[in-house]
Amino acid sequence: MTSKDIIKITINLVIVYLIGGAILAAVYAKTSPIMFKNAKIAKEKALKTLIPEADIIEKIGDWTIHKKSAEYFIAKKGDETIGYIIQSFGKGYSSYINVLIAVDKEIKVQKIDILSHAETPGLGDEIEKDEFKNQFRGKGIENIKLVKKETTEYIQAITGVTISCRAVTDDAVKNGLDFLTKTLKGGAENGTIEKD
Amino acid sequence: MAQSKKINYIDLITNGIVKENTIFKLALSLCPAIAVTSGLKNGVLMGLAVLFVQVMVNTTISLMRNFIHAKIRLPIFMLIISGWVTVTDMVMAAAVPDVYRQMGLYIQLIVAFASILARAEMFASKNKIAPSMADGIGMGIGFLFALTVISFFRELIGKGSLWGLTIIDAKPLLIAILPAGGFLAVGILMAFFNWIDMRYLKKRASASSH
Repeated sequence: MTSKDIIKITINLVIVYLIGGAILAAVYAKTSPIMFKNAKIAKEKALKTLIPEADIIEKIGDWTIHKKSAEYFIAKKGDETIGYIIQSFGKGYSSYINVLIAVDKEIKVQKIDILSHAETPGLGDEIEKDEFKNQFRGKGIENIKLVKKETTEYIQAITGVTISCRAVTDDAVKNGLDFLTKTLKGGAENGTIEKD
Repeated sequence: MAQSKKINYIDLITNGIVKENTIFKLALSLCPAIAVTSGLKNGVLMGLAVLFVQVMVNTTISLMRNFIHAKIRLPIFMLIISGWVTVTDMVMAAAVPDVYRQMGLYIQLIVAFASILARAEMFASKNKIAPSMADGIGMGIGFLFALTVISFFRELIGKGSLWGLTIIDAKPLLIAILPAGGFLAVGILMAFFNWIDMRYLKKRASASSH
């Protein structure tokens, strides 16, 4: 390879990167506000389906997990508090898994919902299946533990998808419940609370 | 003009649809052909995404064919392909969020489609812009056609509906939308199109296809 080749290759790459980068930046600038809005609508819809009997679901604060900011909400029916919803993240195989967890007043899980993730298609996305998600129903924080054996007491992992399942169970849900318990009992060591 | 060289554009376009159909003839990119074709809507949108990427990639590479250094042509092709796929990915995420939620993961996999890189290397890097575009359109439409036909039958049989609207109000044959049904559908349709090809189009004994 002569120095002429090297210069040509360098110019090649620089130009491809510059043009490519410019196109991607332009498209991103156009599409990201729409994506942001879509994600917000999807989240509001998800909140409604998590605790359908609630009249109002209000945000009560923010907290941080894996350096990502997440929100938590209070669900009310009339004047009575019937539960809470907390958003949480788990570090999966190839992405952070964005999870919503609905709990009742005793911080027992009612339902969870996987908002978004980028796990392996056809394998990691098994965590979206109801058979997995329904295992969380009625479980308190002491029962949120992933095991590989058949179990009804804890959460059973899906064969071949252990890492993604662990991210949801031992990371996202467990930390979410942990934070919620501590916060609701007065202290808020892990997060920042902004009441309004 | 380009016409003076007697390039038969019709031939170029039909080549991708009939003679070298990515799925039914070359049996390439079968992963998306099975993974996203459980519904007509998904199949058509995936086909359109591939059509767009194929045309843009072919055009870009043809435009740059004299400028790219031969030693790094494959990395450059991959950069161009991934750039256009990312554009498609972002546009689809914004425009059709419901569908994107289901098949967003597969859109990103277009980067790894053998058919796209193959056309870039075999055709676009050696031909002028107009024929390269025609080739991309042909290949893309061929892929779109294949995905549409496969997903049409799978959704009709497996869910009794088309584009989400119920057509047959009876218990559907669930296997059609499961992965196994995907293999069956692709196989049966592949056989069917090859049979038509041999029987009516008489493409010289078609020894190369099966």
